[in-house]
Amino acid sequence: MRYVGVLLVWTYRLTLGWFLGGQCKYHPSCSQYAIDAYKEFGFFKGTVLAAWRLVRCNPWSRGGVDYARDQRVFT
Amino acid sequence: MTLALLQPLEHLLRHILNGLHSIGLPWAWSIIGLTVIVRMLLVPLTVRQIHSMQNMQAHAPQMKELQKKYKGDRQKLNEELMKFYKENNINPAASCLPLLAQFPVFIGLYYTLRAFSKHPPPGNLSWLHFVPSVADKVTAHWSGYVLLAVYVGSQLASTYFMAGSMQKSQQMLMYVLPFAFIFVIARFPTGLVLYWMTTNLWTVGQGLITRRLIPKTPPPSPRRSSRTPAKEEPPPPVAEDGGKPEHRPAATPSQPRRVKRKKKKRAKR
Repeated sequence: MRYVGVLLVWTYRLTLGWFLGGQCKYHPSCSQYAIDAYKEFGFFKGTVLAAWRLVRCNPWSRGGVDYARDQRVFT
Repeated sequence: MTLALLQPLEHLLRHILNGLHSIGLPWAWSIIGLTVIVRMLLVPLTVRQIHSMQNMQAHAPQMKELQKKYKGDRQKLNEELMKFYKENNINPAASCLPLLAQFPVFIGLYYTLRAFSKHPPPGNLSWLHFVPSVADKVTAHWSGYVLLAVYVGSQLASTYFMAGSMQKSQQMLMYVLPFAFIFVIARFPTGLVLYWMTTNLWTVGQGLITRRLIPKTPPPSPRRSSRTPAKEEPPPPVAEDGGKPEHRPAATPSQPRRVKRKKKKRAKR
C-alpha cells in the first residue's frame, strides 16, 4: 500500500511537477519528503505527514533541513 | 472522489465566470479575468517572495563561497545552504504552497470548461475574432495552434524569470518540457490554454517588474516578521553536536540528525 503512495508522488513528479516546477525551500523537497514518509510510515501516516509538510512549505515558514524520519507528528 | 472534492470549486469558478460574463464580458475574456483574479489573490505571496529574493541577494557572496566549498557534493551543499538560510534569517524564495494553490484552480477550470463544451452556454464563445469557441478542443481550429505557440513562448519566458534559483539540469528540462506538453495540452479545451497562457504572461510581467525593483532597493537590514518570534540563535551547532543524542524540544526545527533511526526502520522491512 505504501508503494501506491510512492507511485502517486512519481506520477505527480513526471506530470504536474514539471509543470508547476517549484523548487522547495526545504531539503529534501516536498515530493522527496512524501516518498520518504510513505516508505517509512506507510500510506496513511505518510499522507498526513506529506500534507503537513506541504502546508508548512509556505512563504511564511523558514524552510531548512527537514527529514521525514525526524517528524514529530507521530511519536 | 476527486470529482466530489472538486465540485464546490467547480461551482465557485462557474459562479465567478458567470459573474464576469453577466457584467458584459464575453466568455473568453471572463476566463482571462478569472485568471487575473486568481493571480491578484496570490500577489501578497509574491511580494513576500520578492522580499526574500532581496535578502538572498544581500547574502549572495557568502552563498557563492559555500557553493565553491561543496562543489562536488550536491546533497551536502543543499544541507549547508539550508543551514545558512536559517542562521541568517533568509527565507528562500520558492515554496510549494503557492504553486499548489494554482493547481486546484487549474483542475477546476478544466472541468468547468469541459462542461462548457458539452453544454455550451448561451452567448459568445469566440475570442478576438479568430478563435471560434473557447469550449472546443485546441486542435479543432487553426487558431488553437497559434494559442499553443503563444503558450509555449509564454511558458519559456516565465521559466526564464523563475529559473534564477534552479539547478542547471532542472532549468534545461524546464525549457524542453513545454514542447513535450504540447501533445498533452492539445487535448485540452481552448479556454484552458487561454488560462495557462494568461497566467504565464502574468508571471513574465511580474518578473519584469521585479527585475526593475530589485537592484534599486538596497538590501533590507535583517528583517523580522511579526509572525515569527525573534529566535535567539543557539551557539554554533557544531559546538554542541558532539555528544547530545536526544532531540531538542519542538521549538527548533530539526537539524540534520540522520544517523540514528535509519537502520532500525530498514531492519523492520
